[in-house]
Amino acid sequence: MSNLVRSELLKIRTTSTWWWLAIGAFLSIALAFAFNAWLASETLSGGGEEFGYTGDAASAPAQAANLYTSGQYLGLMFVMLIGILMVTNEFFHQTATTTFLATPRRTSVIVSKLIAASLLGFAFWLVTTVIDLAAGAAFLSLNDYGTQLGEWEVHRALLLNLMAYAIWTVLGVGIGTLITNQLGAVITASVLYLIGTQVVGLLFLLLANLLDNMAVLKWQVVWPAAASQIMITPGENEMLPAWWVGALVLVGYAVVSGVVGILITRRRDIS
Amino acid sequence: MTDGQPSPTNDAQIVVSGLTKQYRNVLAVNNLSFTVEPGRVTGFLGPNGAGKTTTLRMLLNLVTPTAGTATIGGHRYPALADPLRHVGAVLEASSAHKGRTGVNHLRVICAAAGLPRERADQALELVGLTPAATRKFKGYSLGMKQRLGIAAAMLGDPRVLILDEPANGLDPEGIRWMRGFLKGLAAEGRTVLVSSHLLSEMQLLADDVVIIAAGQLVRQGPVDQVIGSMAQGVRVRTPQADVLTAALAEGPATVESDGQGLLLISGVDAPAVGRAALAAGVELHELTTERPDLERVFLELTAGKAGIR
Ligand SMILES: Nc1ncnc2c1ncn2[C@@H]1O[C@H](COP(=O)(O)OP(=O)(O)O)[C@@H](O)[C@H]1O
Ligand SMILES: [Mg+2]
Repeated sequence: MSNLVRSELLKIRTTSTWWWLAIGAFLSIALAFAFNAWLASETLSGGGEEFGYTGDAASAPAQAANLYTSGQYLGLMFVMLIGILMVTNEFFHQTATTTFLATPRRTSVIVSKLIAASLLGFAFWLVTTVIDLAAGAAFLSLNDYGTQLGEWEVHRALLLNLMAYAIWTVLGVGIGTLITNQLGAVITASVLYLIGTQVVGLLFLLLANLLDNMAVLKWQVVWPAAASQIMITPGENEMLPAWWVGALVLVGYAVVSGVVGILITRRRDIS
Repeated sequence: MTDGQPSPTNDAQIVVSGLTKQYRNVLAVNNLSFTVEPGRVTGFLGPNGAGKTTTLRMLLNLVTPTAGTATIGGHRYPALADPLRHVGAVLEASSAHKGRTGVNHLRVICAAAGLPRERADQALELVGLTPAATRKFKGYSLGMKQRLGIAAAMLGDPRVLILDEPANGLDPEGIRWMRGFLKGLAAEGRTVLVSSHLLSEMQLLADDVVIIAAGQLVRQGPVDQVIGSMAQGVRVRTPQADVLTAALAEGPATVESDGQGLLLISGVDAPAVGRAALAAGVELHELTTERPDLERVFLELTAGKAGIR
């Protein structure tokens, strides 16, 4: 199995795709960090209500947690795309034949892709977090808010961020096995992630108004991107489920897409 | 190995038995059985759409058969402990990542198969691709791509080689190289199974042939035997064509004449024609047995079954 994981990582290292994704992710971190830093300084100097930040959300630890996880929104999409490409590349470039000749046990191939994808997700998280921590700590202490690095709320955000990266990469592999057409998979997943979330939010809002029941909004959690958002959001109320509900839903999607992907791949004719 | 009685311990024999593949609308392969022996080049022949690719892919566990089995050295492909050390394959619709270099393509395979990464360089050397090792695949010519495929197949120094239409798209020099390479591998005692719809090429390359049409076996055997089993013609040149034609009319022979002294006779052999001529007092200028070539055999055997399905 370690041979296979090594082979999967080599596949990624020997093409330029992942460089583009890394550059994209880095740019999105830079933009997100600048935005979040501005947001934090506005909020912490008392202007939080303008952005809807009141109470706990306007506290220094909450703003620090937000700053330290800058770039997550697009970063998660990038690792998902890497997961998708790990599978769809095999069909797009017709390397599936070579891969399955070297390893006829197809379950092992997909499992090694899942492992390699998780390692990549971890690496992405690590690099992103190191950049965010360095820049964030510098920004916060320069502005005399303190680094907030001792706060549980910050630790919690970093760990859940790690979990999100790992799950979304695995989810990407799962999506790739379900939709093997490269363009189809990439477009579907990006649209569902970027646009789908707003549309789903709107639909649930309409539904909640229609039923005159705001608790309906909780059910947005069935949507993966919404689940991801809920997982990293502290607190719960009648409209917002607890973080672990989001985590469970997301893990559920990852497991189901992984298992279905393996089953489909085992039966697929490679021709 | 020419007696068709391989030992039971033979680990390089290919046995296809009752293999069948039903696609949604097409019966691509229909109850196909044949064997392939080591130490020989076996040509796997059939018109386009005959089911060659499907058969080879079932043999390699890439396509699941509807029925039947295919084994290599007595094992199904996925049951081989180190498949690439037993079997090397070059298949159609198999390629490399456009943005990856040739040597990296091979290293990825080495990593997956647990082969030392030096094998990548050695295999490139073997097919004469070393100068292009660090060039990206998208810049390769068709011939270079085909050579890279062969290099990939040779990574594990396998006993069994399986190639699907390897001559496709090669220039005459490339085809000549391929022929020498494959014959050399067979001479080392390896099993070489090569599919093709190019018969002239097979006649120069193959020791044995397996001919299929419409997914079914048409004929299997050594090239000479398959050709020899076909009706042979006799070619005669004589100034007294009419007399000879009349003399042969009593027997089973059928005679075609070009009206200028050339007769093409089938149904009887050359000695019989000679005797008939002597008895009739006919002067002969030429008397030769026409051995049909593989091309004609092939067209006759697959007549009516060829074509797009
Ligand atoms: N994946 C597939 N789905 C449906 N039909 C297929 C598929 N692959 C091959 N076929 C059909 O099976 C038949 C045999 O094809 P193939 O094995 O590629 O023939 P050959 O390699 O001898 O040209 C053809 O009629 C082809 O159209
Ligand atoms: Mg074919």
